[in-house]
Amino acid sequence: MKIYNFSALVTVVVLAAGLFFGSPFVALLKSFTLAEGFSALMNRQVLTVVITSLFTALAATGLAAVVGTVLGYYFTFHKNGGSRWLKTFFSLPLVLPPSAAGYMLLLAFGRYGLIGGPLYQTFSVQIMFTASALVLAQFFVVTPLMIQAASSAFQQVPGSLVKASHSLGAGEFTTFIKVLLPLSRPVLLAGAITAFARAIGEFGATMMVAGRLKTIPIMIYVKAMGGDAGVADGLSLLLVLLSFTVLMLVNIIGERRG
Amino acid sequence: MSLELKEVSFRIGRELILDRVSLKLAAGRSLVVLGNSGAGKSKLLEVIAGLARNQEGRIVFKNRELTGQSTQERGIGFVFQDYALFPHMTARDNILFGLNARKASAAEKNKWLNAVTAELRIDHLLERFPAELSGGQQQRVALARSMVLRPEVLLLDEPLSALDAASRERLALLIKRIQKKYSVTMLYVTHDHNEARFMGDQVMVLDAGKVVQMGCPDAIFSRPGSRFVAHFTATRNILPGRIVKRDDNAGALLEFAGGSLRSLSFPEAKVEVWICLRPEHLVLVADQSGESELSVNRGEECVFANRLTGYRITQFIPQGGVTVLVELEKAGSRLMVFTASRKVEQGELVVGSEVELTVAADRVHCLPRQADDIYCQPYIS
Repeated sequence: MKIYNFSALVTVVVLAAGLFFGSPFVALLKSFTLAEGFSALMNRQVLTVVITSLFTALAATGLAAVVGTVLGYYFTFHKNGGSRWLKTFFSLPLVLPPSAAGYMLLLAFGRYGLIGGPLYQTFSVQIMFTASALVLAQFFVVTPLMIQAASSAFQQVPGSLVKASHSLGAGEFTTFIKVLLPLSRPVLLAGAITAFARAIGEFGATMMVAGRLKTIPIMIYVKAMGGDAGVADGLSLLLVLLSFTVLMLVNIIGERRG
Repeated sequence: MSLELKEVSFRIGRELILDRVSLKLAAGRSLVVLGNSGAGKSKLLEVIAGLARNQEGRIVFKNRELTGQSTQERGIGFVFQDYALFPHMTARDNILFGLNARKASAAEKNKWLNAVTAELRIDHLLERFPAELSGGQQQRVALARSMVLRPEVLLLDEPLSALDAASRERLALLIKRIQKKYSVTMLYVTHDHNEARFMGDQVMVLDAGKVVQMGCPDAIFSRPGSRFVAHFTATRNILPGRIVKRDDNAGALLEFAGGSLRSLSFPEAKVEVWICLRPEHLVLVADQSGESELSVNRGEECVFANRLTGYRITQFIPQGGVTVLVELEKAGSRLMVFTASRKVEQGELVVGSEVELTVAADRVHCLPRQADDIYCQPYIS
């Protein structure tokens, strides 16, 4: 194929993709009216949903940041025969349908579940259909993202720095705190921001364990199905802006690092 | 009291990286590990430092068994080829890293920081980050970082390879001075034969994880045990020849394409040999007057000086500085000889002119030659 033909093909694909990916955003902006959207968002019920979403997403991200970083460290520096299997296992939520993930969480942490059952019978603690369940579902879905970010961050630290730290008398923990974490901070931060964006936008798994509680995506679904376009538009635009900001932040961190 | 390795082997998967390496190095002495890339030099240091674990064999230092100990317990200093300075810390924090890890007192930290940084002349660089330092300065900081811990054993993995020639010379002198001053037992890895000759009390040549020769630098360079070692230590003239006569007092008489030579270093049984002549051991005599000395003084002894005639100069290869490598040829036999570049500049030596060479009989070293050995012409570098 001649070069100019290929260039033309690329241009056509770019334009078609732009049209396809851009149309939902244009449609949202067209449907959204500022006055209607603002009054819908100022509704007390909607505000509660936004605050619930923010807090649960923050809690899930915090948990995922700690657990994901530790697991990322383990998969980078403790490679053995089983670690490849384990890493694949921990990455499963990335590809698993979120509804299946939510259903499995119900089976594990529900009132009659594998862990939830004994918890309820012994301590009368119920996890499902509470804010804890939302955190749990989001944590389950976003932790693999954090593991990937942490693994990638630790792999980028030159091996000689870790060896140098050990040769100078520092143990694994000191090396982790003084060498690995500071050098991996930008990538870990970018991973955490991405995890937060994914957590706040999580729908399938959260839906299965939320009960009567609502998060922003659940609210959008309910309102869109119920014909309340004002709230659905406002919340959708809020998520679009949030996601855009998050991606910009990740890009800025990446550029600064570069 | 020494550092001793007993039959140390190391594998990665099925690949044998170190194959039963044994060595004994007296405390306070230095050993240069010389070898090609992939010979296992760096891995040997890592195994000694405990950075690469699960080796076979034993490592003992001053009757202390290091084999099962962690890197922290061994307390061995390690200087890396790429400096391995922590980029997010200043030079001061880098140097104090080990003392902080050992929870040293402020007084102790100050004392050793001041002493070592003054010694290495980096006290004015302490507030800079590694990215703000030159390669030589970074390597000094890396050296200081190891030395503040006063290690009894210091391992250096090609510490000069990333530096320019001038910095290399300065740092080589500094490392040698510090090693002697603090009586550190030092293992120094390099693939540079010049560095090996200068830095080590002993030299060990490693090939494919095996020790192929170990001894004092003069023995390794003047009497290589194999053609690999001869080639690797830049012997340059490795010529096929044969022993035609053996004499207990006068050594062996050798014949090769360029003439005949007497050698004091030859195998007992072999007739076919490789004749090893280092270019710095051959002396050029420009004129053909025949007045060159017939013997060379070695202390109280006199050694027979061989004369080779009829060689013509084919080219000069500048070596940078005051020496030049001269390529000579006679009846298909090529020789490489170092001489002063002044002689070329002043027109004493010109391409095409015939010269005479002398080489002392104790500088002519022979190695056994197999029938299927391939002859390699002298190489130029």
